[in-house]
Amino acid sequence: MSPLVANLRVIAALGARSVRQTFRRPQLVAPILIFPTLLLAIQTGGAGRAIDLPGFPEVDGFLDFMLAGSIIQSTLLAGNSGGIALAVDIEMGFTDRLLAAPISRFAIVLGRLAGTAALGALAAVWFIAIGMIFGATIHEGVLGAVWMVAFGALSAVAFGGIGAAVALRTGKASVVQGLFPLVFVILFLSSAFFPANLILEPAGSVAEYNPLSFIVEGIRDPVISTLSGETFWKAVGAIALVGGISIGLSALALRHRLRTGG
Amino acid sequence: MEARSATPGLAPIDARANVATIRALVRRAANELLRVPGAAIPGVLAPTIFFLGLTAVFGNLALLPGFTTESYQSFVIPISLMQGAGFTGAATGVNLARDIEQGWFDRLLVSPAPRPVLLAGMVLSASARALVPATVVLVVGFAIGVHWPGVPGLLLALALAMGMGTLAALWGVTLALRYKTQSAAPLMQAGAFTAILMTTAYAPLDLMVGWLQEVARYNPVTQVVEAARQGFVEGGITWSDTWPGVLTLAGLIALMAFFALRQMAKTNE
Amino acid sequence: MAAIEVEALERTFPGGVRAVDGVDLEVADGEIYAFLGPNGAGKTTTVRVLTTLLRPTGGRARVAGFDVVADPARVRGAIGVALQEAALDPLMTGRELIQLQATLHGLSREEGGRRGAALLARVGLEDAADRRVGTYSGGMRRRLDLASALVHRPRVLFLDEPTTGLDPVSRKGIWEEVTRLNEDGTTVFLTTQYLEEADRLADRVGIIDVGRIVAEGTPGALKSEVGRPHLEIRLAGGATEQAERVISRFGRPLPAKDGAALVELPRGAAEVAPVVRALDEAGLTVESLDLVQPTLDDVFVAKTGHRIEPPEEEAGAGALEPDGRPADAPA
Repeated sequence: MSPLVANLRVIAALGARSVRQTFRRPQLVAPILIFPTLLLAIQTGGAGRAIDLPGFPEVDGFLDFMLAGSIIQSTLLAGNSGGIALAVDIEMGFTDRLLAAPISRFAIVLGRLAGTAALGALAAVWFIAIGMIFGATIHEGVLGAVWMVAFGALSAVAFGGIGAAVALRTGKASVVQGLFPLVFVILFLSSAFFPANLILEPAGSVAEYNPLSFIVEGIRDPVISTLSGETFWKAVGAIALVGGISIGLSALALRHRLRTGG
Repeated sequence: MEARSATPGLAPIDARANVATIRALVRRAANELLRVPGAAIPGVLAPTIFFLGLTAVFGNLALLPGFTTESYQSFVIPISLMQGAGFTGAATGVNLARDIEQGWFDRLLVSPAPRPVLLAGMVLSASARALVPATVVLVVGFAIGVHWPGVPGLLLALALAMGMGTLAALWGVTLALRYKTQSAAPLMQAGAFTAILMTTAYAPLDLMVGWLQEVARYNPVTQVVEAARQGFVEGGITWSDTWPGVLTLAGLIALMAFFALRQMAKTNE
Repeated sequence: MAAIEVEALERTFPGGVRAVDGVDLEVADGEIYAFLGPNGAGKTTTVRVLTTLLRPTGGRARVAGFDVVADPARVRGAIGVALQEAALDPLMTGRELIQLQATLHGLSREEGGRRGAALLARVGLEDAADRRVGTYSGGMRRRLDLASALVHRPRVLFLDEPTTGLDPVSRKGIWEEVTRLNEDGTTVFLTTQYLEEADRLADRVGIIDVGRIVAEGTPGALKSEVGRPHLEIRLAGGATEQAERVISRFGRPLPAKDGAALVELPRGAAEVAPVVRALDEAGLTVESLDLVQPTLDDVFVAKTGHRIEPPEEEAGAGALEPDGRPADAPA
């Protein structure tokens, strides 16, 4: 079989492993799905009147607005969790075993990221379902839902690359775990939970230009209105930017690890 | 040759001994913060980030008609105080789970110190440690314009935070004794987190939406939050706004202490 | 009054595991009693019951005259315990740990400080006393554990596998300390997988397998029950038959083994010299000579049909399962 096919198989196998691993240990799923769901319920009920504020975008309800934020939160946490799992693999020596096998080096990282992508897609599906159960409507319909899932998966890969880069560079799960608070800092400095124009300065300005905001808007748009070309391409561009940087960093970190052995 | 005691042990286990035991256990718990560099950071970072984040992101909610103050940070700060206390308390539970896994807890159980005294030692340390994130949050809060609550208001908020730390510690300890593993840590943290946020955390009760409004109405922790909040939002405290929160917290602590003691009694089953 | 009295003791875990299955024993005041058996025999579980960490599911036990179920607080006041994993807090110093132990037992700060200093000196840790326990070696931790178990002058000392994982020098140090303690009047109940430890230290040994005592008595009595010392002689030129004729004058000959002549020597080493002289007079040259003693392992084999397995050197012995059951309890 061609090397490409062989590598794809490896990536799929490692991806399947990483997804299986996550679901076999419920304490890893909880932060990714349950915690953002809890936060969604709390913030929708607590801050729901925000839609009455002048300057708030036209929405049927605060839930419709918030869904994108929850999806992004999940994908960020999934990326962090994937990084932790990779670091654990490195600590345990499992990665060494993979590196000794005749497979492409980078397939190892992509395999882990494939798993993270699957989680990102799952998170999107989960929140779409929750949203619909609790009365949200996706204006763009099925096509919109498909975009949301696609963006969910792609952004998970983009963020996962950062977690993977840190894991490969440090080899320590505790360091990757330490990134956890950073996830929330980035979320607060974006339009994940509130429109950027209504966020207090100086956070508001940061949120306007934060690539995460563009990604969030890309996921949000199909829900609260019809997907506009401009929003769509901005989101794609932001994912490409973050993904490019993060995957580039992981490639460098992997090379460093291979060269220095740690 | 040393004389053997005719009666077991060398000293009676009386009130003085119990107080000494509690102090020794509190001091031991303090080692975690004092002797491990950077150990205090996660417990302080989380509530501070949340405080700043919520203020920046949801700050404009204070513009809504009917909001009880125009300073969102003043509204939200009691939540961050409680959250810091909640995480500190949950950490007590995680530490106990670790001590159980590693056999240290056996050392305490095999001594003649009464079980309630051991429990008090573990839990009181949490109430003191809750002051660490509380202080940082307050300093940051005042720096970004939180209203001065007056000395009684400040003391009340701190006292309630310490009480919340105790409550969260009792919760964490009960779970640790029941499950005897550090894997129960997420449950300990989630319990504290949920109880504190399913209150009037983001907005006053009248401005809340949906089923969460009912939950917040009946959640006893809402009383505690409102009592801690009054100084920051109104500039001073009144007895009628204080006693429901204090009484509720005392009641919750008593209830959780009952469960914790029951679990302590079952440790040898 | 006996220091420890155990009657038909049972401990069954959820799931039906019977770690202790009807144990009867009595330990006199001032005795050293060793519980000898392989991993999973029920030694640790028995100790945990006697130290009130576990409730028995059947039978009775009294320690220092107090019932472990009815009067656990008084039992705890009278006993000192050093468990399998020297459970010490790595962030505390040795001195702080002993001070804490003293406080737990109701000693005043001054008394605790005095006793602590004396005990730390006794176990050779006075120089390390103000260093954190996390920096101590395995041997130092055990010594600290032992010292802290003594701070309140207990009547009965429980030691659960006190030398597992230690190097021979540290092991010997612990043995010396235990012997000294006993000379001062402390009753010692220890569990072990090491035959030599039981043999050397104990006044009496209880051999336990699968939750039951299979043999009990002084080490000497147990061993002689099972056999006597015998001599294995190999001669140059392999003149086994001639050798057998000579040595049969000194004791009962045993079946030859691998070209060696065997003879039972009831009085052991004392009779070796006459045998060698007799062989010499008969013109037979001895190539090798081995005086083989019966061991407690032989006793174990005789009673259970299998050997006590070689002791595990790794840490992990003494770990606890989530339900509080020792990890080495029979699965």
